[in-house]
Amino acid sequence: MSNFKDAQNKAHPNKTNTLMSALIVILILNVSIQIWLLYTGLNNALGKNKDVALPAFIASLVLFLIGFFWLYFLPMGYREKKNK
Amino acid sequence: MSDQVNEPHWKRDFPIQRTEATKVSRRDFARFLCLVSGGLATGSAYVAVKANFFPPEEIKGEHFVCKAAGVPLGGTRSFVIEGSSIPYILIHLEDGSWRAYEQKCTHLSCAVYYKPGSGQIVCPCHEGFFDAMTGEVLAGPPPRPLPALEVVMRGEDVYVKAGNEGIAKNTGRM
Repeated sequence: MSNFKDAQNKAHPNKTNTLMSALIVILILNVSIQIWLLYTGLNNALGKNKDVALPAFIASLVLFLIGFFWLYFLPMGYREKKNK
Repeated sequence: MSDQVNEPHWKRDFPIQRTEATKVSRRDFARFLCLVSGGLATGSAYVAVKANFFPPEEIKGEHFVCKAAGVPLGGTRSFVIEGSSIPYILIHLEDGSWRAYEQKCTHLSCAVYYKPGSGQIVCPCHEGFFDAMTGEVLAGPPPRPLPALEVVMRGEDVYVKAGNEGIAKNTGRM
């Protein structure tokens, strides 16, 4: 039975390349936002303005989870095909 | 065949090409980004827990610093409050008023000093400038004002107590 991964692995390398680049760009964007969230949370916490720290953490965690499940969509190339 | 005989033994023991050893695939790079993302989320969690459950101890009561005559106009005096290791600086401004601030720059904790006659507190490390009257940042990289203590005069004695929000608003910046 064919599934999403099989279909993705059989895709043209051009398509796979584009997908891979898009995934990495999104991940870099997520990490950039997280750096800003950490900086803001820390800066406000040190300035005795602690209310920002918790929302910043929640947003950061959500971004991490998005990035984590994003990895499922990473193309695997032709490795599977070779094993068979 | 002769090539295989002449091949050094280490090549058989370690059959990995230099290009393979140094190559980082895009899959690995994406995974690494995810790891960094997890690290940043953990850092944010640490900040949130520290800010909400372990707030810094506030100074209670008044603490004697020195006699007023011991600090001339435009002069300063460093002091530490009992039971704390935070260095503070007491400033006798040229207009006769007194101010007390933490002596740690809010950028990277370098020791700041008062520049007599200028009304400015200077951090020499990265050229940070604070207003000596309010503790607000005037120029440079510091992100927050200097935390202030309130100075109380009792006759000839100078005392300090927990900071007055009116002197320096310790609000963070985004």
